[in-house]
Amino acid sequence: MTSAPPLDVPLHVKYIQQLDEKKDLAYHLTEHLRLNGVYWGLTALSIMGHKDALPRDAMVDYVMSCWDDEAADTLPPPPSSGAFGAHPGHDAHIHGTCSGIQILIMQDALDRVDVDRVVKFLLTLVGPDGRVEGDQFGEFDVRFSYIFVMVLSLLGRLDAMDTIYDGKGRQLVVDNIVNSMNFDGAFGSEPGAESHGAMVWVCVASLAILGELDRIDRDLLGWWLSERQLPNGGLNGRPEKLEDVCYSWWNLAALSIIGKLHWINRDKLMAFILGAQDLEGGGIADRPGDWVDVFHTVFGLAGLSLVGYPGLRDIDPLYCMPAEVTDKMGLRRDYRTLPRLEQWPQA
Amino acid sequence: MHGVKRTRVSPEAAEAKRIKEQSKIQAYVALQDDVLASKRAKEYTVEALGKTNQLLDLNPEFYTIWNYRRNILTRGLFPESTPEEIVGLLTGELRMTMAYLRVHPKVYWIWTHRMWCLENVPLGPGESKGWRNEFWKTEFMIVEKLLDADARNFHAWSYRRYVVESLPASFSPARSPADELKYTSKKIESNFSNFSAWHYRTKLLGKSWAEITPEEVADEKDQEFELVTQALWTDPGDQSGWLYHRWLIGHNPSPQVLARELESIQELHKEEPDSKWCMNALAHYHLLSARLASASETDVTKHRAEAKTILERLEVIDEDRKERYRELASHY
Ligand SMILES: [Zn+2]
Repeated sequence: MTSAPPLDVPLHVKYIQQLDEKKDLAYHLTEHLRLNGVYWGLTALSIMGHKDALPRDAMVDYVMSCWDDEAADTLPPPPSSGAFGAHPGHDAHIHGTCSGIQILIMQDALDRVDVDRVVKFLLTLVGPDGRVEGDQFGEFDVRFSYIFVMVLSLLGRLDAMDTIYDGKGRQLVVDNIVNSMNFDGAFGSEPGAESHGAMVWVCVASLAILGELDRIDRDLLGWWLSERQLPNGGLNGRPEKLEDVCYSWWNLAALSIIGKLHWINRDKLMAFILGAQDLEGGGIADRPGDWVDVFHTVFGLAGLSLVGYPGLRDIDPLYCMPAEVTDKMGLRRDYRTLPRLEQWPQA
Repeated sequence: MHGVKRTRVSPEAAEAKRIKEQSKIQAYVALQDDVLASKRAKEYTVEALGKTNQLLDLNPEFYTIWNYRRNILTRGLFPESTPEEIVGLLTGELRMTMAYLRVHPKVYWIWTHRMWCLENVPLGPGESKGWRNEFWKTEFMIVEKLLDADARNFHAWSYRRYVVESLPASFSPARSPADELKYTSKKIESNFSNFSAWHYRTKLLGKSWAEITPEEVADEKDQEFELVTQALWTDPGDQSGWLYHRWLIGHNPSPQVLARELESIQELHKEEPDSKWCMNALAHYHLLSARLASASETDVTKHRAEAKTILERLEVIDEDRKERYRELASHY
């Protein structure tokens, strides 16, 4: 039925293990994504059932070395807030904080961090209109709203939202997300912005975590999302744009959360992602024949897991973390994945 | 990494590249260590600013350095500057970010820095807002250029909305929503497939229609239907126009308009019997017609039957989404 090669798990595990060895110029130029990269690598390994392929203690120590004690370096400094930067010496930012907390939880090491300080940092980022900023310099969009909600949920501190803006913090954040919804049922990066697959995922996942999914028109959004699949099986992020493996995750996770994952062609999508593997050096690229990176590797694997590729571990579409981890924390929501296949290609 | 073709690299070639890169890497790491050390020492000086320039030239995504740069300006340089000098410094910042955006139009940090600069333009000269107006004028030109280069760059579209919303009341010539609408028309006419422009149009019209009478809205909607019908007939395979048409119809259309549009799309369907977008629209509008308060029982039965037939046909011609069509059809 399809000529796509099967997933080469040992090769991808090796690719991720060696990411830190090839210290070329590009490695240095991407230091601002290092902590995110560790999260991507660890999640990819976990999906493949090889979580321990990277040494745990060194990883946890590295995460802690990214802690920025002067988080929100404003004048005057906010009392006792703290968070993670992207790498030692880099400023605290909500994105690094997201990866830092996710890694610590996956490695069962949350006791290493002062959770109260992280919560304080997060709360300083919410604006009076419910927007969430990435740091004190004011960049904002719904990606940061998602991180805010998701990390608070992982820390078991969603109730902290009620402590800001006279108890209206939660409502403000939800409204800002809902106001980013467009007539097509999908979401843009901020109120007024055009719908975009990645923004759909962060908004839908935030609303699901907050138990506000009834704000979404599932049929309409499911239509928009399912139309992201192109004849070659890949998914794009916006109408009339090119396919890209990372959109497999953004769009699929959203479809899974709204229970419409079966509205796309699973086999063609699997074949597209599998075709984007580098079967010599390992890793997955944005599309077949391009250079691989760990970002597309994890989102390709996460997409494959959601649609039931055989042998992979389950992934939670709300958190992009192993379902085993979020289930144990009691965070499971009513999402739907496709049944795991026995073999690929199917007989 | 996006859209970079993979090439086979022999171990020898990789080693040669590594050696060639060594000196570049050393220089980069030395500069980075130097700048981060100044940052830790809270050096907020002109020299430190110059060093961040060099580092950002090599790596405009190094957000920590953008942060440091803003702290140098607000904590070190602005307090010792006249308003004229601050304007000069900010002009330099904008020139720098512009050069970066030409090469990296999708790097969030550069856009953020630009907005930060604009928000820090001082009042003046004197009591006026002359400087601010001058800065915003330039922003308009820039965002047009960026959208000319890539008409779907959503950073640029967001930035355009930001510029329009941020214009000082004293800005002249005043920029009205009608001017923005004209801009989207221009973009759409040059390419019907520019969904970003159609999207912006839904936002602009949505706002302005809330402020006029239902009769006026109906008139303006008719003009929009004319425009989008042109797009649909030009390329029925392009979803941009279909999405816009669906927005125009909305959740609660007037029965006459819905009937007229249904008929017009049926005509197109006759010409293009295999256009799935056309059929999707027909199925949806039939179901919408069946839900109208004015629909008689025979109407309801007729529209539902038509929708069901189309959905069954879609299961075949748009097989990738057959489960969706099956699910929709199963309700009737
Ligand atoms: Zn991508």
